[in-house]
Amino acid sequence: MVRVMVVDDHPIWREGVARDLAERGLEVVATAPDGAAAVRIAPAVRPDVVLMDLQLPELSGAEATARIRADLPGTRVLVLSASTEHGDVLGAVRAGASGYLVKSAGHEELVAAVERTAAGHAVFSPGLAGLVLGEYRRLETTGPDAPALTPRETEVLRLVAKGLTARAIAARLTLSHRTVENHVQNSLRKLQLTNRVELTRYAIEQGLDADD
Amino acid sequence: MTVDAVRARAHPDLIPLWRGLVVYRVVALVAAVVNLVRGIDGWARPALGVAVLAAMAVWTASSSWRYLRTGDPAAAVADLVLTALAAASTLLVDTPARIAGGGAVITTVWSAGPVLALAIALGWRGGLTGALVTIGVLFGVRQAVDTDLLFDAQLLLVAGLAVGLAADTMRRSTERLRAAVAREAATAERERLARDIHDGVLQVLALVRRRGGELSREELAHLAGEQEVALRRLITSTPEARPDGTVDLSSRLAGALPARASLAVPAEPVLLSAADADELVAVLREAAANAATHAGADAGLWVLVEDDDAGVTVSVRDDGGGIPEGRLDEAAAEGHLGVASSMRGRVAALGGTISLHTAPGEGTEWEIRLPRGGA
Repeated sequence: MVRVMVVDDHPIWREGVARDLAERGLEVVATAPDGAAAVRIAPAVRPDVVLMDLQLPELSGAEATARIRADLPGTRVLVLSASTEHGDVLGAVRAGASGYLVKSAGHEELVAAVERTAAGHAVFSPGLAGLVLGEYRRLETTGPDAPALTPRETEVLRLVAKGLTARAIAARLTLSHRTVENHVQNSLRKLQLTNRVELTRYAIEQGLDADD
Repeated sequence: MTVDAVRARAHPDLIPLWRGLVVYRVVALVAAVVNLVRGIDGWARPALGVAVLAAMAVWTASSSWRYLRTGDPAAAVADLVLTALAAASTLLVDTPARIAGGGAVITTVWSAGPVLALAIALGWRGGLTGALVTIGVLFGVRQAVDTDLLFDAQLLLVAGLAVGLAADTMRRSTERLRAAVAREAATAERERLARDIHDGVLQVLALVRRRGGELSREELAHLAGEQEVALRRLITSTPEARPDGTVDLSSRLAGALPARASLAVPAEPVLLSAADADELVAVLREAAANAATHAGADAGLWVLVEDDDAGVTVSVRDDGGGIPEGRLDEAAAEGHLGVASSMRGRVAALGGTISLHTAPGEGTEWEIRLPRGGA
């Protein structure tokens, strides 16, 4: 059974989502009202998936995502947010979230996304694909060391952004379903990697122990 | 605007007054030099006189530079003190007999500089204070109230008050103008919000109130969901133009597309001239309306906006039946210019290109490319 932790500062919403997930056969092992509590509780309950809001008191969703991913590499974070702040969404993805879903998504969509996240897949909405494409274009202008998408990855992300399903993309590009998934995941992984490289570089510059 | 920002630059509307002051100061300096040179034989200490004049020239240059750059009241106060000292130096440079006989102070009309500076920087109160201090200094040098002093006093008071009042009026009218512009923008924004809320949310709420009992839970959820997306887009879209006249295409699109449409955009604003953005939005609205007609109002609609150095690319896709091969040519042959040719024409007028990807069962996909710095 997939073990889920729900992090949201709105009590009615938090309990509602927890109830919906439980009704559909997922195990809600904890809920947390803010980022700091989430970071504290997560190691005790070791969830498979953390359902994370972005605008949280104490510690932002992106911060909390980074810390939970550092503490528990086996735990995946799925962002569920009403936030339309593009920067927040990108921040969470760079911090290690493996997907993003808007709060207006239906129950079925939410449960499917949590299950996909637990299985190690990326949950990629067209909106997120647009943001990631834009982020790589922005990085392109920052220098030759910046991570870049391969032409194939760009092609796949563009089709995701245009609303094609993985199956339709595979058919159109004559790739296997699995290869399409890999391209999508690689595009996220490279962003997260640069984030880690930047953090390490920053830590070294500040004279801190990067492993802390 | 912070206080620092105000200090860092002279009030833009007062710059003409500061320029006037600088011109006055330079001309007055020349008058003081002429005055010194003409009476050079009669001065008690001509060398000291030349030194004072040199100091006045240096101060004229440095204070002018500060006035034009910062409009700083502190510089005007320093100006008042230094000018008073320069005027007082007349007591050392000139002979008591000549001073008593009504000879000009060494600074001549240059003394009026700080009065005008204080008036511009601090308004009529500054001008009045500067004039009174300067009159006091002149009296201290002359040691007598004569016609000349009274005449100078009148001129200083009139100049200080008049320039001060002018500066106050200019400042006030700028504030008023700014407030009026802000009010107008706020009203326009409220009207825009009211219009959109009326068209969407209020209609749906009214419908739910009237027929709430008859609607199924799915229908209610669908209606609420659509309006949630529309409202969220409404509050995040900022259709106002930036100071350079460009607008963010993503925000414009968010406000213009139907709520069911998915909008994928970069995090950074996609800046286009307001005219280009409006035209592009109009083309996409046309594409969206066309998709609704042919693929059905509930069909999916996806819009992707991409921005790179070379230009902006907007893709719009529906998941309807697609357009059978040759249908567009057929339509054109039958004399229906139709949507495709209208969209092509509008994009071409923008200096861009448009391509169509469609096949039965694959939906319809338009890709519009607008080069930067194009037509």
